[in-house]
This record gives sequence, structure tokens and C-alpha cells, in this order.
Amino acid sequence: MSKPSFHKITPRAIRVWQWGNSIGNLFYFMIPAGYSFIFGFEGLHLWLIVAVTSAILVLYILSIILMPYLSWKNWRYAVDEKEIDLKRGVIFKTRTLIPLSRVQHVDTRQGPLLRWYDLSSVTISTAATTHEIPALDSVIADRVRRQISTYARLAEEDV
Amino acid sequence: MSDFQRQHPVAAVSRAFGLIRGNFITILVFLFVGAQSENFPFLWWIAGGFGFLLILGAVNWWRFLYKIEDGVLHIKSGIFVRKNLYLTKDRIQVIDITSGVIQRMFGLVKLDIQTAGSSSRQAAIDAVTREKAVEINWLLRDQKSVSEDPEDVNAEVRKPEEEEFNTIKLPHKELLIAASTSGSFGIALSIIATIFSQIEPLISESELFEYLFGLLPSQTDTVMIITIIAIFVVFAWLISFFSTLMTYGNFQLDVKKKEIVVSRGIFEKKRITVPYNRIQAIHVTEGMIRQPLGYASLHLESAGYGDDKGTGSFVLFPLIRRKRILPLLNEILPDYQKELEGITPPPRSLRRYMFRSAFLITSITAGVYWGLGFNLWVWVLPVVSLFWGWLKYKDAALGWGDDILLLRSRGLSKSTAYIKKKRVQDATYSQSPFQRFRKLCSVQVYVASGDQGKSFSVRDIEKTDGMKLLEEVRKNGIPVIDESESERETNKVMLPGWA
Repeated sequence: MSKPSFHKITPRAIRVWQWGNSIGNLFYFMIPAGYSFIFGFEGLHLWLIVAVTSAILVLYILSIILMPYLSWKNWRYAVDEKEIDLKRGVIFKTRTLIPLSRVQHVDTRQGPLLRWYDLSSVTISTAATTHEIPALDSVIADRVRRQISTYARLAEEDV
Repeated sequence: MSDFQRQHPVAAVSRAFGLIRGNFITILVFLFVGAQSENFPFLWWIAGGFGFLLILGAVNWWRFLYKIEDGVLHIKSGIFVRKNLYLTKDRIQVIDITSGVIQRMFGLVKLDIQTAGSSSRQAAIDAVTREKAVEINWLLRDQKSVSEDPEDVNAEVRKPEEEEFNTIKLPHKELLIAASTSGSFGIALSIIATIFSQIEPLISESELFEYLFGLLPSQTDTVMIITIIAIFVVFAWLISFFSTLMTYGNFQLDVKKKEIVVSRGIFEKKRITVPYNRIQAIHVTEGMIRQPLGYASLHLESAGYGDDKGTGSFVLFPLIRRKRILPLLNEILPDYQKELEGITPPPRSLRRYMFRSAFLITSITAGVYWGLGFNLWVWVLPVVSLFWGWLKYKDAALGWGDDILLLRSRGLSKSTAYIKKKRVQDATYSQSPFQRFRKLCSVQVYVASGDQGKSFSVRDIEKTDGMKLLEEVRKNGIPVIDESESERETNKVMLPGWA
């Protein structure tokens, strides 16, 4: 098996995900809030609400301090002349192989949070699916995008 | 033709019906929920809704303009957002002339114009006269393979050279079997439920109802419920029987030099043309009822163009004896390697299959048994689900040849997919924590289908086999002659296993 050279993504991705999760996952507190709004705080309901809220709180804190680090640690990508190889996942580990001749277009994207940290994500589209390498340094992201599109053009001529 | 033209006004009606068909489930739910109120009669809902759709169709018709100039078809459409679509003659791959029920009532035809891109689904001219269709066809044709309507009277005008092709028809017997075993029960059931919910107040007070239930031996509630369910099921079966008959009647598969043409339908004629170079995968589905009878259906995934829903998946052959599959495939797709050596999941993944299949059902059963005091017979369900898990395990398999992959798995029905390696859009290998512990993995392969993708997957195979699949995809159809496979012989099978 040929060993492609895998790259990590930028450590700053951790910061981005921490911010993203700390804002986005606040949504889950709506569940006990909504429940208490409907059923009130009496008796059994109170216990249920406390239990659910503390469980969500624990997960929320984990999603801020632990998960971003772990998913950064598990992210790897490799691009060579023949294919793109993406490895990711903390609990469910997945590895995806995209033959370059199948790549239809590549673009870089930048949301406000990514822009603040000067990062971009690279999106790779095939005729069937779309994959993303999240949070690369903008300069690197540009380079990866150019690299992929060059390789993709070469691979196209092969077929 | 160098001026903008409108379609025939009938396009408005066919558009309205098209909208109904496209949103059928939504409309059904809407009727079911919305028409419960007594003070707003059911018929008004239907009439009002249909009137609205007709107006929508008419406006759409008014705003739809097309012209052909210098070999470019220009279509303007859209009510508020004007969309301009330009199709160049060189890019047009296929022009399908079809006619639905409405078109045929007025002697009109529909033109489906396909390019390799995905936007070509909008390039359909819903209703034009036959003469105009011929003219358009003539203007846009350029030594391209133009599929002809066999019924067409003007054939000699448009046929440049006689192309010989092989026609395969669906025998009547198999059509009947296909109709009686088709699984479109669910939709049929929901239609009946809707109708029943509307007419129920009428019949429950009528004497007929009393009379019918007077015929039954005993009048306990259980018997009544069972009878009602039985009536529902029979009606659902009848609906699905006749709808399948309507859909797949007159089925015909033309194998031409460059393309496959599938035409079907009794009232609503449908024609699908697929050039060979757009076939992405074929899969064989053996349904729950059909498999024991020795039948299967063939499906095809094509890129760019497909059914109305945007998926490129359609029925290549509605029902075929398992023994006849390989000869048929050999005829249609001689370049696919059909029989190859495959790998099944190792015995240790059997328990994962059974657990996954039975876990939810068992816990629900336990809940209703102890919680709601159900009959002991509910425990049949977990046993069946365990058996189902075992079947899933038996049917999961993975194989590869020089340029082809084969993935076999079972959801409710068993599906065997043939995919050319060079058609694979991406391949994914994944492991859950438990799979990591047991050194197993799942693989998933995507192919293009319509303007989306379609995935095929096999779960809980040996980790090394999953890695090998990824390697096979990496080779991308280029055969490599290093084979050192003598470690495990335990879980080898010959695929597809029905030769």
C-alpha cells in the first residue's frame, strides 16, 4: 500500500470549533427550557429537568474543551496526482477516497468565524458528493485548491 | 422558428397535473389534515386546489417561450424569476418524444431534451403538435442519435439510416407477477386511508355497513378491526397491482448501438434513453416476496438525467427470472464482468448484524408487552427481526474484478450492485468504536445518479478487506498484477451466486 503523505489541519481550527460549538450547542438547552415551559417545575418534572440539563451541560462543556481538540487531532488529508484521501472522526473513524478524475470543482469558503482566524475551508465536489477539508490556513487552502484543480485537470486528460 | 413561440395551451393542464403528481404525498397529507373540519366541505378543497394549480399552470404556460436560432434552443421560463436556458445543438445528446395521457387526448407530444448537464431536466417542452416536434427535432439534430417514437407516422422524414436494434419485451405473465408482488403498498394504503377518512361518516351510518358487518360470524371489536385491516390491505394491494400494471404495461427495452431505450406505460407513456457512456451502475433488487419466487428486478443508475425527481435511478427491467439476469446483462452490458470472487463478512460480525436488526424491535416489544400488557404473540417480532439480521448477514458481500466492484447487501430486499471502478465518485471506509475493537469496518461507495449521488454500502466486513476495497478504487480501473491472497479462505464466495 502506497503511503500518501498526510497533512494535519491548522491548530487554529480548534479555536474556531470551540467558538462554533459554544454558540451552536446552546440550542440544546432549549430542550429542557421548552419542557419546563410546558410542564412546569413540579415534582418529577423538576428532577427530569435537572437531570437532562446537567447531562446537556456536561456534553456542552465536553463539546467545547475536548471535542474540538480530538477532532483536530484525528483530521488528516492527503492530495496527490491520483486521489484525495480524507481521514477524520473521533468516535466513528472514517476514511474517504476521492479519485481526482472524479472531481468536478473545488472552492474555498470562509465564514465570519473562519475569517476572524484567517482560515478557509476547501470544498471538493464530485458528481455525487461534496466533501470539505475544514479550517486550513487561507494561504494553504488556496494552495490546496490550486493543487487539486491542477491535478484534476491532468487526471481528466488521462481518461 | 427564429421567433419566440409558446407551447400548445394544453401544456397548462399537463403542468397542473405534473404539479399534482410531483407533490402527491404533500397533497395527501394536506387533505388528510386540512379537510377534517366539517364546515368546509372536502370537495371545495379539491376544486379550489385544482383551480389554483390550473391558474399556476396557465401562467407558467404564458411565461414559457422557446425559439431555435442557429442551432441553439433558447427557452425562457419562470413566473417571477425569468430563466434563460440555451442549449447548443452539439451538446444535445438525446431528444425523447413522449406523450402522456393529456398530450395524447389532444394529439400532442412532449419533448425531453437531454444534455450531459443536470440542468437539462428543465429543458422539456411539455406540449407541442407532432409536426412542430418533428420540426424542432430536425432543427436540432445533427447526425446525432435521435430516438424515434415507434408510433411516429413521419418516421421516414426523420430517420437518416435504419439502425438495427434488439428489442426485449416483458412477457404478460411476468408483468402480472410484477404487479402482484410490487411493494408500493404504503402509498396505496395512505390513499385509501385518506379516502376512507372522508367517506367514513357516510358509510358508518348507512345500512350497507350494518349489513356487511351482519354477515360476519361474531361481532366482537377484534373481528371488526381485523376485517377493516384486511379490507384495507386488499384494497391497497389492488391499487398497487393496477398502478404497476399501468406503469409497466407495454414495457419494452431496446438495446441499440449507442444507447438503451426503455419505454413503458399503458396510458402514460414514458421513454427513457440512456447512452452507454452514462451508465454508472446497475443493481439487481430481489424483493421480499419476489426472492422466494426466484424473481428480481434490474435497476440502472445514470448520470445527468433521470426521473422527474432528479435521481438517475430507474427500472431497467421490472421483473426477470434470476437465471435470466446474467444472459440479459451480457446482452446489454457485455463489458461488465459479472461473475467474480467475493468476500462475505466474517462469522464474528453475525452477532452485530443480529443485534442491530433486533435491538430496537426487542426493546419496543418488551415495552408494549410489560407496559401495555400485550398478547404473548408480540414476541414473534423480535424473533423475526433476529432472523432478518441473519439474512442480512448472509447476503452481505463484497467483490472486485479487474475494473468492477460488486456490493451486495440487504435492507428489506436484497440488492446486488455492479459498479465500474472508474465510475466510483468516492469510497469511504468507516469504523465505529465497537468495529475497531472487533477489527471490522463498513464501506460505502458513491456513484453519480441524476444530479445527485447514490450510495452502496456493506457493513461489518473484515478490516483488511475494507482497506483492500479502498486500494481497488485507488487503482481506478487499472489492473495491477500483484495478487498474494492466500491468507484466508474462510469467507470466500462466488458472486453474484445465481448463475
